[in-house]
Amino acid sequence: MVHATTIVTPARFVQGLSYSDFLAQATINHDKFNESYQSVPLTEGDLAFFRKAAALPQGPKKILALAEAWCGDVYRELPTVARIAEATSADLRIFLRDQNPDIMDEFLSNNGKSRAIPVFAFYTADLQQITHFTERSASAHAGLMSAMDEVRAQLKLPETATFGTLVDPERTAFLREVIARIQPHSTQWRKDAIAEIRESLATAVGIPNAS
Amino acid sequence: MPAETGTASPIVYTIRGCDACMKLLRKWDAEQVIYEERRVELSQTVLDEARRLGQLVPIVVWPDGRVEQGFGDTIGCFI
Repeated sequence: MVHATTIVTPARFVQGLSYSDFLAQATINHDKFNESYQSVPLTEGDLAFFRKAAALPQGPKKILALAEAWCGDVYRELPTVARIAEATSADLRIFLRDQNPDIMDEFLSNNGKSRAIPVFAFYTADLQQITHFTERSASAHAGLMSAMDEVRAQLKLPETATFGTLVDPERTAFLREVIARIQPHSTQWRKDAIAEIRESLATAVGIPNAS
Repeated sequence: MPAETGTASPIVYTIRGCDACMKLLRKWDAEQVIYEERRVELSQTVLDEARRLGQLVPIVVWPDGRVEQGFGDTIGCFI
């Protein structure tokens, strides 16, 4: 949802951390951020698209990210956006979710119930919000649901079983099997996140989703 | 996975921004459970320790060595 009034004013925006400052303040997961940064699955075509979008008068020149270094979705996806910002000379500003609840409130998901991160909000030079992306790709969400269905069948659990309704040892087995199924898809889901951001930006700024 | 705590109290690995972790701590505080909290978001050493035990916080290590991951109907946070 794009708020008619927003607390993300120019003065507030510049208070966000740069990517290097974000990493400097993080006490954990430097190896994970570095690994993700080195393996960002952006293609030359992706970069050409983002540069083309950024060059438009109302294209994305500023990117706001809500993040925390302990979050797996953050260390997988934030380096991608850092690379996009570098390639397009966009101003990326990162806000720690738990220190900025007022900004987080503008980007709640799951019908206003979830404070899911990362959030990447794209803005014009004069800070008009263009679009935003939250947490992970739709394919990753669907893949997680599908993995849970498969594991329920494998472990002969009721269709209604959820992590929360199970008790050990089934609970632990359920978790182990679900994780084993989703881990191999990590790189593809990162690519899918890029595709979703491209599609969303292309629609919002009115250009073809092509390189 | 056995993981003796060496104490009579459970050890709980948490992230303070994790809803499931906070629900568990609130429950234990209300029940006056004595526990040792180890916050994984503050230390790579503690995070590595937690990863050897599981993949989802909260992770509870009971005095008898039993390890439980997650809490209640909230899946928790992957680490």
